[in-house]
Amino acid sequence: MKPNRLWRRYDRLTGPDPAADVNDELRFHLEAKIDDLIAQGWEPQAARQEAERIFGDIRAVQHIGERIGEKRQRRKHLSVYWSDWLQDLRYAVRMLVKSPGFTLVAVLTLALGIGANTTIFSVINAVLLRPLPYTNPGRLVGVAESRPAASVTAAGLSWPVFTELQDHSQVFSAVAGVAGHALTLTGHGEPADVSTVAVTPDFFTVLEIQPLLGRVLLAGDGKRGAAAAVVLSENLWRSRFGADPNIAGSSITLDQRTYTVAGVMPASFHTPFFNQTEQMWIPLVQDPLFSGWTTRPPQVHWMTVIARLRPDVPVRKAQAEMQTVSPALAKQFPEESGWLLGIEPLQQAVVGNVRPQLLLLLGAVALVLLIACANIANLLLTRATSRSKEIALRIALGASKRRIARQLLTESTVLGLLGGAAGIGLACWSVSALALLLTPQLRQTYPIRLDGAVLGFAVVLSMAASLLSGLAPVFYAVRSNPQQNLREGAGAGEARGSQRARSFLAIAEVALAMIILVGAGLLLRSFSRLLAVSPGFETEHVVKAEISLPRFQYARPEQWAAFSNDLMMRLHSRPDLQNSAIAAPLPILDGAITLPFVISGNPPLPQGTANTANYVTASPQYFGVMGISVMRGRLFTEDDNDGAPPVAVISQALAKRYFPNQDPLGRQLVFGFTPQGHVSRQIVGVVADVHDVSLAKNPGPMMYVPFAQAPLWGGEVVVRSRLSTAVVSDAVRTATHAIDKDLPVTKIESFPGALDASVAEPRFRTLLLGIFSGIALLLAAIGIYGVVSFSVSRRTREIGVRMALGASPAGVMRLVIGESAKLLLLGLAVGIAGALVLTRFMATLLFGVAPTDPLTFGVVALLLAFVALAAAYVPARRAMRVDPMVALRCE
Amino acid sequence: MDKNRLDLFRGTLDVLILKSLIWGPLHGYSITDLIRRQSDEVLLVEEGTLYPALWRLETKGFLEAEWGLSENNRKAKFYRLSAKGKRQLRQEMQTWDAYAAAVAKVLSATQPPLPEDAG
Repeated sequence: MKPNRLWRRYDRLTGPDPAADVNDELRFHLEAKIDDLIAQGWEPQAARQEAERIFGDIRAVQHIGERIGEKRQRRKHLSVYWSDWLQDLRYAVRMLVKSPGFTLVAVLTLALGIGANTTIFSVINAVLLRPLPYTNPGRLVGVAESRPAASVTAAGLSWPVFTELQDHSQVFSAVAGVAGHALTLTGHGEPADVSTVAVTPDFFTVLEIQPLLGRVLLAGDGKRGAAAAVVLSENLWRSRFGADPNIAGSSITLDQRTYTVAGVMPASFHTPFFNQTEQMWIPLVQDPLFSGWTTRPPQVHWMTVIARLRPDVPVRKAQAEMQTVSPALAKQFPEESGWLLGIEPLQQAVVGNVRPQLLLLLGAVALVLLIACANIANLLLTRATSRSKEIALRIALGASKRRIARQLLTESTVLGLLGGAAGIGLACWSVSALALLLTPQLRQTYPIRLDGAVLGFAVVLSMAASLLSGLAPVFYAVRSNPQQNLREGAGAGEARGSQRARSFLAIAEVALAMIILVGAGLLLRSFSRLLAVSPGFETEHVVKAEISLPRFQYARPEQWAAFSNDLMMRLHSRPDLQNSAIAAPLPILDGAITLPFVISGNPPLPQGTANTANYVTASPQYFGVMGISVMRGRLFTEDDNDGAPPVAVISQALAKRYFPNQDPLGRQLVFGFTPQGHVSRQIVGVVADVHDVSLAKNPGPMMYVPFAQAPLWGGEVVVRSRLSTAVVSDAVRTATHAIDKDLPVTKIESFPGALDASVAEPRFRTLLLGIFSGIALLLAAIGIYGVVSFSVSRRTREIGVRMALGASPAGVMRLVIGESAKLLLLGLAVGIAGALVLTRFMATLLFGVAPTDPLTFGVVALLLAFVALAAAYVPARRAMRVDPMVALRCE
Repeated sequence: MDKNRLDLFRGTLDVLILKSLIWGPLHGYSITDLIRRQSDEVLLVEEGTLYPALWRLETKGFLEAEWGLSENNRKAKFYRLSAKGKRQLRQEMQTWDAYAAAVAKVLSATQPPLPEDAG
């Protein structure tokens, strides 16, 4: 009856065996029964039979027993697994706490890598992955026209093409056109320019959006002669109308005309492609400007068009349909020939060219993380080596290799998760700064947030990083020979395989750093090229301000001319504002107005082709203010007014391209911008070229006309003076309000400041990539230092022997540096090859630099080589100072 | 012998096993023996139900098992009540008492129950 503890060991010796247990237990029962029966006087043989009879179906019971036993075993495994895991975790935490320096470096390294990745991913998630905030956004498309012959890629639609699509398209359930400008809101506080989106009646149908209050614009509002209606944005409603709940049905005044408020849109709603937070929407036919454009000829492509596909039409089919529509349209409207209709998913159309730069940055941070992982792997490898005796001991005491591997991996996972947590913290902090990557319009449509997807990404990344950096050490710890390790202890030479892994890591780090540095170098070169571009005009001390005339009050061109005349006279009356002008559009800051023109006397061009040039209307002082020099002929004078013969000044590019070996002066150009038709103008001068679209684009042909002969409803005032921006803007405002106190003066900026803002995007991405590559360089240097310094400390004895045998310190130095140089050269070779392959993908982001720019590659390789050798130099010096006696004795 | 035998109600066997282990560890054979003798040969536990019941109780953690040597030096599996098993026994005994009392009440009734209050 006494349980014997010896039997417990039986359980341990061969491992648990539930089937044998059941068998033993039942056999004992039978034997006991037989004993009892024999004691009662049965014959042994009969006793056995009787016992078995009484027991019944022993196999069935056995079967039940085995099943229950297996189940219990499984459960036990699971609980052992968890308790082992807890034990591992405790052990890992203890080990990490024991070497706080290592832990800190590892966690910080990972935090940098994961934080950078999380941050960039949060932007990508917001812009490229999260759907647009409209109902069923996958069905929305942007419609645009392109003209391959003139390398025009994404122009708006002309009115006739738009109406054709609206009325006859089989693939869209709704089509809407959008055009934006500002109207002057008066009667509610200061007069203000409110950005206004003129929309065709189906606009709200396309986006399937509900108003916050009242109603949206309906088909009836879009009819000519309907009462003018307006929908306000929530922001405007709150800021200007005190969030009046009864606003629907009341009247407001825009450009001196009465509109009835139909409803209010929620603040979360944004018009695709437009960025203002305070907006209003009016029917296109009620717009003082665009309503007149519906009669314009088809070659003016001014409408941004969005559409919703019919539920059963896939995007591809719609695209194919567009290709068949274009030739048909060309037949109907001869001016349309050469233009191609195209659609792309709205998301793609809105995001536009942000995609390549985001992917570039993601690639860069991924490289940074890889380098970080290589560093951690290196550190862990070092630790595992110095712990090899401990591990060998554990294996000798019966720990399975799996168990050891699991424990080491738990350690690297704890590191990874700590790094991930710190990285998420870093990302929280840096995400807001990163919003600068996006244009204001994108920033608005896609608020960048650390949502579930981003956090999930960070966690997955941390796990992946843990595995990546933990695997190599585990591999070598488990593979190494425990006997040898036990005998030699931690001080001995390490396994050759581990040393190879370490070298491989160093090479990989150099290669990865090379790639990212080349990327940053290319961007930097490209950016400096961009800044070095002379725009063709001089902006120092120039201030600009915009004035827009309400078109109901100022309906006729004569009024516009009179206003600008009046304003200029007032400004010029001040001696310090002599140098001021009015013009539109301004180079780089405003979009270009591209118009077709005809050269009188030249043979007519073939059907469907047209010469085009960018159009600027400017008052006489404009060229002086902007520092655009005259090459031939003359500039405009005050006499080039409405009564005088129409004149034009062309740019050198236009002269070169269209008047090769001819004298353009005195020739006639026929062109015109709304509301004028085609006007024949005599060329009186040729001026220097100007980068009018962007610094990155070569100057195209331009034609200038006198503002007095071709006035616009307002324009940009430019003033060159020694006065401060504030003083100039006050002067412009005073002069403007002296003419009309209800006119707002907006967008006042110093010209250099405004230009600077135009390169904010490339500057920011260059800065970011620069930061990332700096981190990469630092990590790679640390990595190389780690590898070399470890190898030196492991070889202290060998070096001691060499020195005892007569090797000079310099020779030892050469040995160590030579080995590092070998790693470095291999890394550089791999890195250059990788960079050659990868930089091709950033070609679109470069300006004036080839993706394979040899200078960049060379400089980066030299920089990397210098840093790497410097990192190797420190441990090499230590090797040089090894005292042979000490080194030999310590073994 | 078979005629005296009463079939065990479902669930009754568990409480009997628990109770029989209250005086100390036993192996399966002596459990049947103990129950048989304690019930004056009325309750005979079939081996085909005893062992599965023991294993189930062991899995649930009411019993702890250990290999040991029997009286005649054979290797036998001994079962012992765990703390959890003791609690279970107390609880099941209460349930059984209440059940038995209720059954007894019904069986010993001499008249139909009074009509229930409608209000």
